[in-house]
Amino acid sequence: MAEQAQRRAPMAQAQENPTDNNHAYEELRHLIVAPETEGLAAIEERLDNLDKRTEDVSAVVAEAIDMRRATGDQALAAALAPTIQETLRESVRRDPHVLADALFPVMGPAIRKSITETLRSMLESFNEALDNSFSARGLQWRIEAMRTGKPFAEIVLMHSLLYRVEQIFLIHRETGLVLNHIVAPTVATQDPDMIAGMLSAIQQFVRDSFHSPNDETLGSLNVGELQVWLEESPNAVLAAVIRGHAPADFREAMNEALEDVQRHFSSALASFKGDAGPFRAADERLSKLLETRFREAPTEKKKTRTAVIVGGVALALFVGWLGYVSYLSWEWSRFLSALQKQPGIVVVSYARDGRTFHIQGFRDPLAPDPKTLVSQAGLDPTKADLQLAPYYSLDDAIVARRAEHVLHPPPTVKLASKQGQLSAEGSASQQWIAKLEERGPWIAGVTEVDESHLINSNLQQLYTLKDSIESDVLLFPLGSADLESGQEAKLERVQNQIRDLQTQAEDLHQPLTIQIIGHSDSSGIEGTNLVLSQQRAEQIHHSFLRNGVRHQGLQPDGVGTKQPLRTEDSEEGRQLNRSVTFKVSFAPASSATAGSPSGSAATPRGH
Amino acid sequence: MIQKKVCMLGSFSVGKTSLVRRFVDSIFDDKYHTTIGVKVDKKVVTTSGQDVTLVLWDIHGEDVYQKMRMSYLRGMSGYLLVADGTRRQTLDDALSLNERVVQEFGKLPSLLLLNKYDLTDQWEIDSAQESKLTAAGWNVLHTSAKTGDSVEKVFLQLAQEALGR
Repeated sequence: MAEQAQRRAPMAQAQENPTDNNHAYEELRHLIVAPETEGLAAIEERLDNLDKRTEDVSAVVAEAIDMRRATGDQALAAALAPTIQETLRESVRRDPHVLADALFPVMGPAIRKSITETLRSMLESFNEALDNSFSARGLQWRIEAMRTGKPFAEIVLMHSLLYRVEQIFLIHRETGLVLNHIVAPTVATQDPDMIAGMLSAIQQFVRDSFHSPNDETLGSLNVGELQVWLEESPNAVLAAVIRGHAPADFREAMNEALEDVQRHFSSALASFKGDAGPFRAADERLSKLLETRFREAPTEKKKTRTAVIVGGVALALFVGWLGYVSYLSWEWSRFLSALQKQPGIVVVSYARDGRTFHIQGFRDPLAPDPKTLVSQAGLDPTKADLQLAPYYSLDDAIVARRAEHVLHPPPTVKLASKQGQLSAEGSASQQWIAKLEERGPWIAGVTEVDESHLINSNLQQLYTLKDSIESDVLLFPLGSADLESGQEAKLERVQNQIRDLQTQAEDLHQPLTIQIIGHSDSSGIEGTNLVLSQQRAEQIHHSFLRNGVRHQGLQPDGVGTKQPLRTEDSEEGRQLNRSVTFKVSFAPASSATAGSPSGSAATPRGH
Repeated sequence: MIQKKVCMLGSFSVGKTSLVRRFVDSIFDDKYHTTIGVKVDKKVVTTSGQDVTLVLWDIHGEDVYQKMRMSYLRGMSGYLLVADGTRRQTLDDALSLNERVVQEFGKLPSLLLLNKYDLTDQWEIDSAQESKLTAAGWNVLHTSAKTGDSVEKVFLQLAQEALGR
């Protein structure tokens, strides 16, 4: 309005002063071209005024760049590149934090990925190192790996990584004030505000004290089995209070959570004035960190029960096996002691190798077969390894058996050995006795032969004949030297027996004397009786000689009534005294006949 | 709830720690002062119907052995500058410390506490000097750890100022 008023003013002046042509012209010109002139002036001013021009360009620069880019022309990028590079360089020179903060969410994951790879290979070499470890713990883990069928590395990790994240602090980096605090159930805590403040102070202290490059600071604190892990972003610090040993993965999880928070709350973090309210929204994100927690020992009860059952069965098997082994052991030791007592077997040593028994020693060939003994003891002969060298045993039983083998005694003879003395009992032929005498002392283990209890069976026969001959009584009639009738058969038998006796005695080199004794009864005259008895003996002697009885050793003799067979109180007694009897002795004739009446030439009459 | 980080600054043995001991929640031992140079306590105050948690960083006073770590002050919303009213030197030190703080962090809500006010007979700061401080923009308060005078007020006032920012 004011402007229009000004414009009108000159026109009024021109009307009032028509002489002033110049003014009129000017006025006219002004009337005609004024709008254009003003427009030009405005344009001029816009062109001359740098601020105005900048303003104009700023209005279209974004669209212009966008339009140019849309043409696909690379010239724009080429033109901008040096400037952008220069800008970045300058930005870093001025304050590296700006760019670092901007790149933080981008670089974090990329760096982490490469670090994960590095860690994985480290873990592998760690496994390898563990593989080679023979510590008691390593061995225990190895057994567990075998028992559960899991890879050894997994068992190691399971035991190494038992942990529980008890608290998570999200702390404003600059002020050290708590933005968020999450606590695992049943964990007692101190005032988080003060803890967070002190943690920040400690971080600051470390940063200042050790002048770490790149603004690095404390990564973790260890207090007994508690650890505090710290991670920083440009505006926040994430602290995790961990009981036990968390895996390296957990730091990665912390980092991811922190990046998340930094991304979602970047403006709230930058403009933080003490109100932690907005950061409640991070609860869920941070709680996930608590979820990665302490792994409880899986189904302890069930495992215990299984262990008890397995243990029980194992124990029963063990006891059974132990019983079986001790029974076998007892059986074998029983067998061994029996074997030790066995004549002709000497056990020098024995050993058990698994289920086989090795026995070493000596055995007389005449001792019983040990394999048979094993079987008899009820043991498995295939499990016995018997190595018995042959030897001559001096054991009495074996010596006796050896003597039997050598001498083949007749069934009537019993051989026994006692401390080197071989004794024979019973009866045997002269021939066998000679063999015993000859070979006995040569038998191994025999030093002396005792045959005192051995009867010569041949001699026995002689005595039998002797008894038989001596029991025969040849009867004569009263007063006669001729044999009573009916006595011939008896005479013949006596003759045969004497012939046998003579033969056998000769075989045995036995001296033999046979007295042919004539008797008479007491009736009649003594002198006649003596002659008669002598005649009776001569009569039989002659009969013998006629019938092939050899003369040697025969001694006919008459004793009259001097050696009556019976008392003569009966006819029978008197009859018996009219006889010839025989007396056999195994001695030379001279001694046998000593003191006996010699034959007389007189032939007295008698009864 | 609003939280504010506030610091307590001042020379060695002006009574900073004693001053607040009875009024704050504390879980850490005083020995942190001499080890890492700071101890963090907490004080909840209510102002204008709003609870404010003051996380109080009690910074170890400077001495010949230990220089104050300025980095501990980062992010604070205000601070208490403490001097010993019975030792003039501590006020000068506090003021020079304040200059360094302002230089690094700019002007922040702060209160100047002249402590040990129970020992008035040894008082070295006269009213003229105090007027000069007030004129320079300082909110000067007399405190005593012994009597507890003004301590609650100090925190409340600081909380109010910090909230106003």
